[in-house]
Amino acid sequence: MHELALSAYLLESVEEHAREAGALSVVTINLVVGERSCVEDEALRFCFELLSPGTLAEGAQLVLWRVPMRFWCNTCAAAYTPDSESFRCPRCGTVGGVVDDGTDVLIESLEIET
Amino acid sequence: MTVQRVKVVRSLFHANDRAAEAIRARCDAAGVVAVNLLAGPGAGKTSLITRTIAALAGTARVGVVEGDIAGSVDTERVLAAGAVDAVQVNTGGGCHLEAGMLARALEELDLGAFDLLMVENVGNLICPTHWDLGEHARVCLVSAAEGDDKPVKYPDVFARSDAIVLNKIDLIDLVDFDRARFYEAVRALNPDAPVFEGSCRTGAGLGGWVDWLRARLASRVAGGEVG
Repeated sequence: MHELALSAYLLESVEEHAREAGALSVVTINLVVGERSCVEDEALRFCFELLSPGTLAEGAQLVLWRVPMRFWCNTCAAAYTPDSESFRCPRCGTVGGVVDDGTDVLIESLEIET
Repeated sequence: MTVQRVKVVRSLFHANDRAAEAIRARCDAAGVVAVNLLAGPGAGKTSLITRTIAALAGTARVGVVEGDIAGSVDTERVLAAGAVDAVQVNTGGGCHLEAGMLARALEELDLGAFDLLMVENVGNLICPTHWDLGEHARVCLVSAAEGDDKPVKYPDVFARSDAIVLNKIDLIDLVDFDRARFYEAVRALNPDAPVFEGSCRTGAGLGGWVDWLRARLASRVAGGEVG
């Protein structure tokens, strides 16, 4: 979708946090990316590599932690990940409620060299 | 040299969200209710806006920001329909509006001249969902002709909207639209948002939508919380 815009925001936030922590460079960026966020791994890496030279994050490894969409079924009292056809519980077939729409894109943490 | 772990936990949309808050504050100060209208191409966004302007004529002044990839056809349409003012934001191919783009567009408008600001986002059910524009209400518009599977395929726009408009209801029997399947998915994602069925072509069934907007405008005029 808009990985270039996201990469620009990502770099801005990473540099801000790295500088605050007194980093000489950023080694790893751990991202939490929802499976329904429509963020495409390869596009994000490509854009990041395009924008990161000359910043503290140049050469940093992007680690993407994918998190699924989660629903809660009241009948089974259990969480589930719906399939792409409907939001029904795979055990009992009733429709639960959404707990996490799986669209977050977060910087979880950085590993920095100091 | 040592490697150290720094906990961050910040959304990538953080900078946008801050800019959006500033827009919300500007609209609040001007007494303007801002609506962010999200839909796929051809769902009827501009038609809904022109119908809304006509329905509110004499009771609420409407300003419009038209987000589009290119062109200014939609701006001309809403001005002809009676919008107090309208400004076009062309993203030049970008798939969504960001708060910074809207903030720049608002420089060209006098917020004091409006009661309601309608922002027509770029026609896309995916990308605009992530970008808060500082709106008071996010409205998802979908047409029967697009199919009943839209909430299953594009869950976040339905989950994160304050109201849903189902347009082209006059075509519903021609396009095999399964209402039960549509509502099952909508309610799983968003139990509370009102769903308004209508036709922007004929104007039928849009009364509920207009009443909902009027209620939001009334609570704003009374100084109440619009939420």
